[in-house]
Amino acid sequence: MGLRDRGPRTPRVAVDTGVQLVAAWHLVGVAAGIVSMLLASRSGDDALPAVIKLFVQVFSIAVTVAHLAAAYGTFRRMRRARTVSLVTNYLLFVVSGSALLHQLGAFTGIGKFGTGLNKAFLPFMVIVVGLLWVLVAGQLLAKKPLAAGPNGLRRAGWGLVALASVWFVIAADPSGMLSMIGDRITQPLTLGTLAVALCSGAATRFMWQRRVAVHFGTSASEEQTLSGLAFLSPNLIGFSFFFAGPLLFSLVVSFFEWKTTGTGRSFVGIDNYVRALSLDLSSSDVANAGNEVLKPGYQVLMHLDWFGQNWVLGARDVEFWISLRNITIFLVLAVPASVLPALVLSSILASRLPGMKVFRAIYFIPSVAGVIGVAIIWGQLFQSTVGWINYLILRAGEILPFVDPPAEGHPWLSSNSTALLSMVVVFAWMNFGFNTVLYLAGHQSIPKELYEAADIDGANVWQVFRRITVPQLRNTTFYVLITTSILALQLFDIVWILSTPEPGGPNNATTTPVLALYEEAFQGNDQGYASALAWVLFLIIFGFTFAQFRQQKDGATSGGVS
Amino acid sequence: MAAVTFNNISKRYKDGPKAVDDLNLEITDGEFMVLVGPSGCGKSTALRMIAGLEEISDGELRIGERVVNEVPPGDRDIAMVFQNYALYPHMTVRQNIGFALEVAKVRKDEINRRVEDAAEMLGLTEYLDRLPKALSGGQRQRVAMGRAIVRSPQVFLMDEPLSNLDAKLRVQMRSDIIQLQARLGTTMVYVTHDQVEAMTMGHRVAVMRKGVLQQVAPPQELYLRPANLFVAAFIGSPAMNLITADVTIEKATGGDQPDDVFVSFGGHRLRISPKALDRYPGLRERNGTKVIFGLRPEHFAMEEDLEVGDDQILTIRCDLAEAMGAEVHIHAVIDVPPPAVDGAPIAAEDDPEALVAGTKVIARVDGIHTIAMGQDVRLAVKTHLTHFFDPASGAPLR
Amino acid sequence: MSVRRKGPKATAIRIITYVLLVVVAVVVVFPFAVAVTTSFKRNTDIFTYPPSLIPKKDSTIPAADVGLDGDPVPVFTFPARDDRPGRWALVDADASLAEFRPLDDLERVIVLDVKAGEKTGATVTIDGEEEDVFLVDDGGTQVEAYRSRLTSGGLFVSVDDPSTSVLDLVNFATPAREFGPRFANFTEVLAEKDPETNGKGVGRSLTNTVLVTILVVLGQIITSILGGYAFARVQFKGRSTIFLVYLGSVMIPFVVLIIPLFQLMLQVNWRDNLVALIIPFAFTAYGTFLMRQFFLGIPAEIEEAALLDGASRSTILWKVMVPLARPAIATLATFGFLYAWNSFFWPLVIINSGNPDNAVLSLTLSTLGGRSSTDTNLVFAGTVLAMTPPILVFLFAQRYFVENSASSGLK
Repeated sequence: MGLRDRGPRTPRVAVDTGVQLVAAWHLVGVAAGIVSMLLASRSGDDALPAVIKLFVQVFSIAVTVAHLAAAYGTFRRMRRARTVSLVTNYLLFVVSGSALLHQLGAFTGIGKFGTGLNKAFLPFMVIVVGLLWVLVAGQLLAKKPLAAGPNGLRRAGWGLVALASVWFVIAADPSGMLSMIGDRITQPLTLGTLAVALCSGAATRFMWQRRVAVHFGTSASEEQTLSGLAFLSPNLIGFSFFFAGPLLFSLVVSFFEWKTTGTGRSFVGIDNYVRALSLDLSSSDVANAGNEVLKPGYQVLMHLDWFGQNWVLGARDVEFWISLRNITIFLVLAVPASVLPALVLSSILASRLPGMKVFRAIYFIPSVAGVIGVAIIWGQLFQSTVGWINYLILRAGEILPFVDPPAEGHPWLSSNSTALLSMVVVFAWMNFGFNTVLYLAGHQSIPKELYEAADIDGANVWQVFRRITVPQLRNTTFYVLITTSILALQLFDIVWILSTPEPGGPNNATTTPVLALYEEAFQGNDQGYASALAWVLFLIIFGFTFAQFRQQKDGATSGGVS
Repeated sequence: MAAVTFNNISKRYKDGPKAVDDLNLEITDGEFMVLVGPSGCGKSTALRMIAGLEEISDGELRIGERVVNEVPPGDRDIAMVFQNYALYPHMTVRQNIGFALEVAKVRKDEINRRVEDAAEMLGLTEYLDRLPKALSGGQRQRVAMGRAIVRSPQVFLMDEPLSNLDAKLRVQMRSDIIQLQARLGTTMVYVTHDQVEAMTMGHRVAVMRKGVLQQVAPPQELYLRPANLFVAAFIGSPAMNLITADVTIEKATGGDQPDDVFVSFGGHRLRISPKALDRYPGLRERNGTKVIFGLRPEHFAMEEDLEVGDDQILTIRCDLAEAMGAEVHIHAVIDVPPPAVDGAPIAAEDDPEALVAGTKVIARVDGIHTIAMGQDVRLAVKTHLTHFFDPASGAPLR
Repeated sequence: MSVRRKGPKATAIRIITYVLLVVVAVVVVFPFAVAVTTSFKRNTDIFTYPPSLIPKKDSTIPAADVGLDGDPVPVFTFPARDDRPGRWALVDADASLAEFRPLDDLERVIVLDVKAGEKTGATVTIDGEEEDVFLVDDGGTQVEAYRSRLTSGGLFVSVDDPSTSVLDLVNFATPAREFGPRFANFTEVLAEKDPETNGKGVGRSLTNTVLVTILVVLGQIITSILGGYAFARVQFKGRSTIFLVYLGSVMIPFVVLIIPLFQLMLQVNWRDNLVALIIPFAFTAYGTFLMRQFFLGIPAEIEEAALLDGASRSTILWKVMVPLARPAIATLATFGFLYAWNSFFWPLVIINSGNPDNAVLSLTLSTLGGRSSTDTNLVFAGTVLAMTPPILVFLFAQRYFVENSASSGLK
C-alpha cells in the first residue's frame, strides 16, 4: 500500500542486541564513574583545584548512579529504563562532547579562527554577498515560480559562494589549526573523552529510535516529554550553565569575602550587605565637621542643617551612596526626558500623515547605533572650546535675546554641576525613539471611534491629546516609564566613555551603582562585596519590575509576553 | 483499504466531561461513514482519534486488524482533509501533494508521476506550480484532497471539508467527493455538522451527541426510524416538530377495526392513522398519558391538496410565512410548553430563552399557495408518518 | 489626531507639526552628520573654531598652471591686504627677502626683494645701531625706510594673473582651504596596530565583531527555534514550570550575572578569549519567547497534516515550521545582531588583557576614543565604521524590527 513500498532499508542493529550493548555500555559507565571519582579525590601535589574537584566528584557520583539505574533497568527491560538511559547518555554526550571540544581547543580556538577570518576578510565578504544574492533570488523565485531566470540566478549565487569558500579556506590558511587539533587528538585523555562521546552518542541515537520505544513500551506522553526536552535541551543546558547556575553562585558569593584572584575566601554572612548599606547620623557643634564625629570606619556623606542643628550623615561606603544619589537624580531627569517627547511625537506619528514612517525610522536610529559610538560623538559635541553645543548656544545668544551664553565655553563634562546633566541629554537622545515606537504600538489599540467622536464634538488638537490620547495610553505610559527606568538604573556605558577626568568624575559627580560595582569587582578585586552591590541593585530594579507586573495583572490592555 | 473499529472508546480531558463516551462503531472496509452531530458532540474527537491526533483514554481502536492506540499518526496509513485544508503555505501545489511521498523517501520520478496523476484526477494540473495563496477556496480544497489521495491510504478522514466553501461550490464538491470515494473504494470517515451533507453522502450515518453515539444507520433509516428524540430532531430540515401531547385511545367499536388514537395539544386534537400504531406499537400502552408527538414539516399539506378526514386537520394561525419558491414554510406557535428531556432542550440549537412561550411548529406546504401573516390555515396532516417518544427518556415508543 | 480636517487652521497645525518633526529629526541626525564629516577631516581641522561640518584640506594648484614642473603648488590668500586680492600660489618658499621698516612708522614691515631699494646715502640710528636709509617702493609710493633684516620667504604668483607676483613672509599669508575629505583616516584606523604607520588595529576588531556577531546570531536562532518550538507545540511534563522560570529570568538584570560569569570564564580558561563573548550569549529567553509566540500562531492543523504525512517532529520543525517562521527569525536575527554588535559591558569585563587580537569594536573604540584620545579623526572614522552596519541592518529589517520592538512588551 502507498507508503509501504519504500526502497530497501539499510540493515540495522537488531533491537535485542542493541539493548544488550547499551546495557553493557552502562556497566562500563558505572566502572568509569567510580574510577573518575577516585581519581578526582586524590590528594597530594597533583590534586585538582577545590571547585573543579568538587564538581568532578559530584558529577562522577551522579554519572555512576545514573548508569547503574540505566543498566539495571535496561537488563530488566523496565518501562522507564529507556528514559533513564536516554537522559544519562544524552547528558554524558553533551558533557563529553564539550570536554572534547575544550581539549581540542575548539573554544579558545575561536580567537585563532578570528585571525584566519581577518586574513580572509575579502573572500568572506564575497561569501556574504553571494548568500544575500541567493536569498534575493529565492524571494524572486517565490514571487514568480515559473520564471526560469531566478533559478539560474540562484545557482550562480551558490556557485559564487562555493568559489569564495574555496578562496576563503586558502586565504585563511587553516593548516595551523588543523595541526594543533592533530597534536591534541593523540593525547590519551582526549582519546578517552572521544571514546566516551562516541559511545554515549551512539547509545543515545540507538535508544531514541521508535522501535526501541516499542520494545520498552514507552507511552505516548513519555515520548512527548522526551522529545519536548530534547528540543529544549540546547536552550535549557545553556540556560542552566550560563544563567541559573551563575545566578545562584552570585548569591553565594555575596555572602563571602571573595577576591578575584588569590585564595582570600571566607564566609562573612551578611557583612557585605551591611557594609554597603550602613549609614550613621550624628549631630555636631560645628558646621562641616569631618569624619571624626562619626563611628569609626564611616566617612562623611553629607552635611545637614536641621532646625539650627548641624548634622553629619556618614556611610561606610560613601561612593556607593553617592552613586545611589546620582542615579536617583539621573532617573528623575532622564526618564521624563526620554518619555515625554516620545508621547508627543508618537501622537503625531500615529496620525498617518505622509512621511511618518520616515520620521519614525530616523528617530529610531540612535537606539540602534551603539552606545559607545554615540558617547564618543557626544563627547566631541560637548567639547568646551570647539564643541558644537557651546558654539550653537553662542550663536543662539546672538539671535535670541533671552539666551545668555557664558563668556568662556562651558566645560559641560568636567563641571560638577553639568556632568550628570550631559549624561541625561545623551541618554534621552538615545532612547526617546525607541519609546516613541512603543507608544505607537499603544496608539494602535486606541479605538479610532474615540477620535471621530471628539472630532464631531469639535474638540481641538490639545483637548484631543489631553482628554483622549494621554488617558488611553495610560498602560503604555506605565510600561514605557518602567522599562526606561530599569534601563536608566543600569547606566554605565555612557558614563564610562564621557565622564572625565576618570570614570565617574568629576568628583564622583557621575558615579553610578553599576560603575561602583565594576570598580569594586574588577579594579578593587573584591567580588564578594561587588556581588552584594549587584543584589542590592537587583532588588531596586526588581521593585520596578514588580510594579509593572502588578500593573499588567490589573490592566487588561497590556498583556505582556505570555 | 481497511475497516475501522471502535471498541469501547472513551476520551476524557483533564477535569472536563468525556468528549467521547464508550463509543462502539464498526466502519466496514470501503464504507463511506459520516459522523454527524452538533458542535461539541465528539465527532471531530472521534475522527482525530482515528488519525492519532488525540490520545485514546480508554478502549481499543483498530484499523484493519491492527490495534493502533499507540501507533503514531504517520504510521497509521491514513490521510486526512482538514476544515481549513491545512495546506503548507510555503510549498507549491506540487510540493504540497508530494510532501508525504517525499517524507517517505519515494523516488523523485515516482513522486512526480503520482502527483501528476492525482492532479489530473482533480483538475489541478495547471496549478501545480502555484502557491496555495494564489488559489481559490475550491482549488485549495481540491489540493487538500489531492494530498490525501496521492498516498493511496487505507482510510480517508475528512473533517468538515466543505464548510469553508460557498453554497454552490459545496453542492458541486459534495458530488465530487461521493464519486471519488466510489471510484477509489477507500474507506471514508467524514465528519460534518450539516445533516444535508450527512444524508446525501454517507452509506451510513452515525449521529453523535455529547460524546455518545445516538444511532448508526443508513440515511433513510435515520429519517424514518430515528432511534430517539435527538436523532428525530436533528435529522431533517426544517427539523421535526416535537409537541408534548396527550394520548387518548378509544377502543374500536367493531371487532377487527383498529383502535382510534387521538393526540391532543394546546386545544388541538388529531386522529392518528392506525398505521402509526404499527410503527409505534408502544403507543398502545400510553392511553391517557403524555407523549412527545413528532411531526415532520413536510408531512403537512394544505387542506385542499390532501384529502383527509376533518379530525386530521390542524388549524393554526400563521405567524410567518416564508415563500421559498417550490414550497412555503408556515411558522406557528402551539400553546404548550416546548418539550424537554431531563430539563434540557432536545436539540442543541434550541434556544431555552426563546421569545415565545409555546412550542414552535413549522409546516411545509406547496409553493403555489399564498399565505398571509396572521391568517388561520387549515392543514391536513399525514398522520401515518408521525412519531412518538417517551417524554421522560426520549426513547421511541416502539 | 484628525487627518480629515480642512481649512486654514488645520493647515497651520499641520505645518507646525511638520516643523516640529523636522526639528527633532535634525536633532537626531546632526550628531551623526558631525561624526561622518569629522571622520573625513584632518586632525588639525577638528580643533578649529568655529566648528564646521566640512572636511577641508590646504588648496593646491598644479605646478604647470604657474609655469613650473613638479609637485602641486600650495595656494595662499592675503585677507588683510586689500591690494592683493584673490589666491596666490607659493612658487618658491625659499626666496631671499629683505624686511624694510619705514622711518615714519617703525612698527610696519615692508617685505621686498633683497635687491630692492636704493640707498639714499643717509643713515639713521635705530636702537643704537647706525642703519642706511633706503628709498623703497611701498605700494606705488616711494618711502624712506631702513633695512631691518635679511631673510628668506615666499614668492607668490597670482593664480588669476600669473604675471603678477609678490614676495612676502610665508606666515603673513593664510593657506587657502578647500573641500577635501581625507579617506586615509579609514585605512589608517583599520590598519594593524602600529605607531609607525599610525595604524589603530580597528580592522582586527571589526573582524572579531563580525565573527562574534555571526556566531551569536546563529546560536540564538538555533536554540530559540528549538526551544520556542518545544514550548509552543510539544506537550511535555514540566513545560509550564520551565516556561515560568524562563519568564522570570527576563527580570534579572545582567549586572547580577557579571561577576559569577566572570568567575566561570576564569574556571574554564575562557577569559580574554572571543569564545567568552559567544557561547554564553547563544541562548536567549527573549528569542525563545519570540519564536514560541510565532509558532503558537501557526495553525495546529498544518502541523497535524504533516504528522499524518508521516513527518517526524524534526522534519516538521525544519521543513514546515521554520520556513513559515521566516519573519520571526528575521526579527530575532536583527535583535541578536544589534545586541551582539553593540554590546560593551561584558567585553570590557572579560577581554581585559589589552591584546588587540581579542578585542571587539566597541572595546577598541572605547580605548581609542577614551579620555586620553589622540587622532580624533581616526577615532571618528572607527566610530562611523562601527555604527554603519547596525544602522544599515536596522533600515533593511525595519519592518520586522519596529513591529516587534513594540510587541515585545505590549499587545
